[in-house]
Amino acid sequence: MKKTNIMAFSIVAASPFLIVMIALVSVMYGTKDISAITIWQAISAFDPSNVDHQIVRTGRIPRIAAVLLVGAFLAVAGAVMQGITRNYLASPSLMGVNDGSAFVITLAIVFFPGLPNYQMILLSMIGSALGAGIVFGFGSLIRNGLSPVRLAIIGTVIGTFLSSIATAIAMYFQVSQTVSVWYNTKVHMVDMDMLLLAIPFGLIGLVLALLSAKAITITSLGEDIAIGLGQKTTAVKIISMLAVVCLTGTAVALVGKIAFVGLVIPHITRFLVGVDYRFIIPCAAVIGSFFLALCDVLSRFVNFPFETPIGVLTALVGVPFFLYLVRKHGGEKRA
Amino acid sequence: MRKKASSVFVMTASILILFILGASYLHITNGVFDMSVMDVIKTLLRIEPNPKFDLVIFEFRLPRIVIAALVGVGLGMAGVVLQGITRNGLADPGILGINAGAGAAVVIFMFFFQLRLVTADMSSWLSILMMPLFGFVGGAIAAILIFSFALKNGHLDMQRLILTGIAINSGFGALSLFLSLKMSAQDYESAAVWMAGSIYNANWIFVVTMLPWLILLGIYVHRKSYLLDYFQLEEDSITSLGIAVEKEKMKLLLASVGLVSACVSVSGSIGFIGLMAPHIAKQLVGIQHRYVMPVSALIGAGLLILADYIGKTVFAPSELAVGIVVSIIGIPYFLYLLVKSKA
Repeated sequence: MKKTNIMAFSIVAASPFLIVMIALVSVMYGTKDISAITIWQAISAFDPSNVDHQIVRTGRIPRIAAVLLVGAFLAVAGAVMQGITRNYLASPSLMGVNDGSAFVITLAIVFFPGLPNYQMILLSMIGSALGAGIVFGFGSLIRNGLSPVRLAIIGTVIGTFLSSIATAIAMYFQVSQTVSVWYNTKVHMVDMDMLLLAIPFGLIGLVLALLSAKAITITSLGEDIAIGLGQKTTAVKIISMLAVVCLTGTAVALVGKIAFVGLVIPHITRFLVGVDYRFIIPCAAVIGSFFLALCDVLSRFVNFPFETPIGVLTALVGVPFFLYLVRKHGGEKRA
Repeated sequence: MRKKASSVFVMTASILILFILGASYLHITNGVFDMSVMDVIKTLLRIEPNPKFDLVIFEFRLPRIVIAALVGVGLGMAGVVLQGITRNGLADPGILGINAGAGAAVVIFMFFFQLRLVTADMSSWLSILMMPLFGFVGGAIAAILIFSFALKNGHLDMQRLILTGIAINSGFGALSLFLSLKMSAQDYESAAVWMAGSIYNANWIFVVTMLPWLILLGIYVHRKSYLLDYFQLEEDSITSLGIAVEKEKMKLLLASVGLVSACVSVSGSIGFIGLMAPHIAKQLVGIQHRYVMPVSALIGAGLLILADYIGKTVFAPSELAVGIVVSIIGIPYFLYLLVKSKA
């Protein structure tokens, strides 16, 4: 067994422990600290008149569940995108996927108010696909447009464009506030129905990503090699993009736009477990969950007793990391 | 040849001034409260002063138009300088992250001085006059960061420059968001309005704030604009002409950061004007920077007045921040330039 494989297995083996630990910390500490015993009682013997029990059940547990899921979703989506495009800067937030989703959700709020949650998740996915489609379509139109740096530029600019249009539409129809509640980061007020719906949709994405893991490893070696090895590259691309769309669409619908998780975590994971996506994808899910949960816990204490948007914390880690990547790799293709 | 270029310049400039006047006319007569040209002229020339018209024109619409024009001038000139120095047509203070740096510094300023922008009165003059200074420090820090990251073997790598800009933008954006959430509700309100890149709380104090910066630095970059022509040559050729390249570049860069900071401290971050105006100017008057510079300034002013007019009328009774209108117009143009550019 190779050293990196041992690393991958130990990450997955340690994951229950890591996740439970961070989840416990997340449920216990906040503006009001709650003891572990009270938490256990809230789960096993729920008393509706007890405020602490209410906080645990309706506030803290949905929140940590959502954060863990979204962390895994975004990290896996980023890993798949980086592998399939061989672009070390590929990630949902940089490639206009998040903004596409938010754009379609804005349209839905304006033109079809009061849609049921599962339709919102579907629309969010359609939006992700739209954003990715525009960015990659435009990238393939221009010369050298799919190179890491150019694609990142195109993605950022088109993302800004979509969100500007969304802002204008929301303003025109006077629903700005509803929209901003919808797609700004909202980990502190997770909708329970949405959370339950997000699990199956996200699982579909995770399963698709795991199924295409081997093919992604081959694609990441280069298109020519992949074709030479008899891989159906178009099919692989479609399936893996479908996974990305499921994962990010669900993530945005659940908590809004969170940047940098999908960019940073795959790099850290590759550093730890090597270049085989059969190891990268599950490990990225674990590390992504843990990372976002950690950011979430910290976000409650940076400006105690007020909460800080989780995006501020992910940016704190993400921006220096991004600069480091640009400095190190420049315009070359690799992932 | 020389004569021809200058006559083209004079003609273009006159047409642009007419365009600015036209946009201002639309802006001043339309709004929540429509008025006729005669009313406007009568009020402006004090023929038949009417307190109601006085209020609308002198307190709301005129300062707003003046601010839009000044910010457009500043961003248009800064864009010419940045594109000239980096030798790349995609450079823009907004894209490079200078706006965000200056913006974060202004938010820090608002945070510590509890400045209530909307009710700015005489007693807060001194602190308002300090705002561009703070912005300048932030913008300069951002510029230094961006250029030190993008420098590779002593040369500017344009793609890195833009990518670093993207990172700097999100970093300073997060910082501004974090600080603005720590503010009191009222300060937050004004900071949020301002961060969106808007000028609808314009007043004469802001005009006074930015005017000295704009005049001094504007004259400086205009006088130095001939240098930008040389910068388009190979590095060795410029040195052989006896120009201290790096020193001059640094001075021009700092001057453009100053211009941007003065604009950002009154209007928040408005992108893409510094990108579009120089390109359009070059289409109109050719590549000599001493013509491009003033024409770009005029185009910037005209575009921003028009964009603000669109933002205030199309979305009435709510107002769309002018920065968003400019992005919606500017981004397709950016993509068009990206398609056209080689490599």
